[in-house]
Amino acid sequence: MQAFRPGLVHTPVTPFGRDNSIDFDVLATLIDFHARNGADALALPMHAGESVSLSEEEKRELIAFAVERARGRLPVIAHVSNAGTALAAALAEAAQAIGAAAVVATTPYYWTPPPAMLLKHFHQIGAAVEIPFFVHNAPEEMAGTKITAELALKLIDQLPNFAGIVDASLDWQFMIELMTDATRVRPAFQLLSGTEHMVSAGAIGATGTFSSLAAIAPRLVRRLHDLCRDEKYFEARPTQEEIAALRQSIKASGPAGLKAAMRHMGRDCGEPRPPLLALDASAQQALRAALAALPALGGEPRGW
Amino acid sequence: MHATQAFPIRVVDAGVLWLNPLGPSSVPPTLASQAGHQDRTTMAAKFRGVMQSPVTPLKEDFSLDLATFERVLDFHVRTGAPAISWPHHKGESLNLTIAERKLFAEAAVKVVAGRVPVTIHVSALAVEDTMELARHAQTIGADGILAITPYFWTPSLEAIHAYFVRLCGAIDLPVLSYNSPSYLAGVEITGELMSRLIQRLPNFVGVKEASFNSEKFLEISRAALALRPDFAMLTGVEFLLPSVPLGGVGSYSAAGSICPNLCAQLYAACTAGEWRRARELQFKMTRLWHLFRDQYPSSLKGGMVIMGRPVGPTRPPLPTATPERQAYIRAQLEDLGILDSEPHGW
Repeated sequence: MQAFRPGLVHTPVTPFGRDNSIDFDVLATLIDFHARNGADALALPMHAGESVSLSEEEKRELIAFAVERARGRLPVIAHVSNAGTALAAALAEAAQAIGAAAVVATTPYYWTPPPAMLLKHFHQIGAAVEIPFFVHNAPEEMAGTKITAELALKLIDQLPNFAGIVDASLDWQFMIELMTDATRVRPAFQLLSGTEHMVSAGAIGATGTFSSLAAIAPRLVRRLHDLCRDEKYFEARPTQEEIAALRQSIKASGPAGLKAAMRHMGRDCGEPRPPLLALDASAQQALRAALAALPALGGEPRGW
Repeated sequence: MHATQAFPIRVVDAGVLWLNPLGPSSVPPTLASQAGHQDRTTMAAKFRGVMQSPVTPLKEDFSLDLATFERVLDFHVRTGAPAISWPHHKGESLNLTIAERKLFAEAAVKVVAGRVPVTIHVSALAVEDTMELARHAQTIGADGILAITPYFWTPSLEAIHAYFVRLCGAIDLPVLSYNSPSYLAGVEITGELMSRLIQRLPNFVGVKEASFNSEKFLEISRAALALRPDFAMLTGVEFLLPSVPLGGVGSYSAAGSICPNLCAQLYAACTAGEWRRARELQFKMTRLWHLFRDQYPSSLKGGMVIMGRPVGPTRPPLPTATPERQAYIRAQLEDLGILDSEPHGW
């Protein structure tokens, strides 16, 4: 198995035009922006990119477009999560054919799956491809469904291309247990931080990060990532605190808040698709005030 | 994978490694007590490192075993505990009567005799009992108290605020709060609530933050340390590797009665920024946590038998470790190298 170490992975939004269709012109500009501003790789369409609101055909098109646009600059990790196992496996297979460097999938939507169901689901997605397969652990987004270290061990046993876990649980007990157990049987197993809370994850052994906030503050995110990569965790704390403040101001409003903040930074990617609502006037005002109160954003690029 | 990062500023004191990541206001406890300061800075600086919370030894009839309790306390102090706190949940706090808690609290203060600070965990199902235990702790000369957010009622943020205001106003001792959302149906102290409490209460000096979650820990440490740079950000179960880089200055200990040496080594590696070693030690420590968290503290008491420090049964509804469970624990401790690297007997 080739060692693909993604490093700092930016997770772009999906730009929509006024008619709610994907705006590929803006997407091209957005991918160029990420490439010029510190990304080591892209992962899309993640939840920040409203993956759940895209059709199967649109997801293939989006991944193909990104692979082509980023060619020679950035590897692309395709996010293939779905409710149905076959749907996710089919997208994984397509992503590999298109030229994705890896695939990532979270737990199946809606079904509140027990452990045996999770194992089968992930097994079939991972077995559909030869490229590295990452599993995304995001219990807060997935109605409490969690990946356990035990499940990871079973997947290691079944899948030679199971490369690691992208963790958004931020749960110290899980991350430590996972790394203790998984690296014993697969030394190259990777823990990637699923959010910009990199310091604790890095100390535990995470070697990469998925970041949506890089669309707003790419320099801050890059600085934090580099400090953690160099294991300068004490020095990283002030930057981690600045990013935590940014995250806290946007988190509750999801992709709508992310897109509103991007517009504030001069990088308009339109509004989210239904059922998500754009921020109303007062929420936009509150967000702008929160962003204005973050001195760290002063050093970030405006516009494209 | 990573280069080892050294971190400066250490004061070595009595064989324990103290680090000062928060700036000049934090002072090693023994130096502070020598100086005789009674201000808030000194109050908070007492609580750092891997602090030990003794189990509660019981006789075969489940009554308190005072003689063994004294040995446990003395063992912890002799093996490097920077502070003692009793009775945590691991000390079966909720299965003891209030009279029993007072009796052993007095014994703890008396046996430790000022060698290290002693705090009393005053959390009780009835808040009126908590108030009583807090006042008692002050009367017997304890160095502080620890109190969790109220049990059972899933109190609102306003109710938690009122609770700590009342508690801190009733005594002059330093008060450490205890945040444990996963055991208390999601009840937790937010960063904003922490700010309000710190601004209002001079003796509100720290928190045992036991969410074990990067975002929650940082939300509280960010709010607290901005207002009170010497605020004691502590965690539970020796989870030092993820918390020390976020402003953590120590933890309470789950396995310290089994492996005091490992506790000291882990704290030293984390505060010195020796991350590769810290990871190795933290992973080992966490394997012990997984061994003991099953029927905690029954398995821990079972492990103490293996280490030559028997402390009797565990009160129901908790089970007592069976001989089979003890044999399993022995095998695990052997596998981890604990039997060779940690003290046997008292």
